[in-house]
Amino acid sequence: MPHPVTGWQIISPHPDATAAFYQQLFDWHLDRNNTLGYRELTTGDDGINGGVWPGPPDERPFAQLFIEVPDVHSHVERATSLGATVLVPASVLPDGDVMAVLKDPVGLPFAIRSRSKLRDD
Amino acid sequence: MDMRAILQIEFESRRKRNPRYSLRAFALSIGTNHGTLSQILRSQRRLTSRNIRQLGARIRLTDAQIRDACLAGHCDSIVSLIADPRFKADARWIAIMTGIPLDDVSVALHWLLHTRRIAMLDRRTWTLQS
Repeated sequence: MPHPVTGWQIISPHPDATAAFYQQLFDWHLDRNNTLGYRELTTGDDGINGGVWPGPPDERPFAQLFIEVPDVHSHVERATSLGATVLVPASVLPDGDVMAVLKDPVGLPFAIRSRSKLRDD
Repeated sequence: MDMRAILQIEFESRRKRNPRYSLRAFALSIGTNHGTLSQILRSQRRLTSRNIRQLGARIRLTDAQIRDACLAGHCDSIVSLIADPRFKADARWIAIMTGIPLDDVSVALHWLLHTRRIAMLDRRTWTLQS
């Protein structure tokens, strides 16, 4: 089964400035009207959508990929068996997506996600 | 470490150097009054980020220590709210109820998940972890 990259996220200590920069540069659509107040950026018909999440003031900004999996829990186990560490355990977000954030063996954070069927209803 | 614990440690440290050092003297030295400080130490008064920054500066905490104390305060406020029967799994609602800016709620939620203090079990259920 394919495991496509279906999203990305920038963690920024200045989330407003970061989101505004990319929105203005690429005319992406910015929407914060969701239960987490998450800055969702829609990049266009053929693009992969992403978002900006606030990070602590002393943290350098970075980007991470979201990879779609059918079952987050089993992929967390699989990832850890391959040397990844869990930063945020599998969590059900208010929109119904299940997500976990891991760090690969080299130290790069990434997220795996199972999108909620509610989004398609 | 939260600001309450930091203040308690600082007070005890000063009292160790001078057994006659009073809570009143400590309050005066950090620009507050005895009653307010007493309530803070007994967890009967909530500290805002502004309070934490002011008190932190007066006991010469570093910027990083003040940020950590603010984060700890935000985390504690959210944890208290999760235990409240009225709780809603909604960062905007949390921000309104606690007075914490929405972005700071997001940072605190990430930290609470990372440190396994809370778990998001389903769309509407967040629980405290032991």
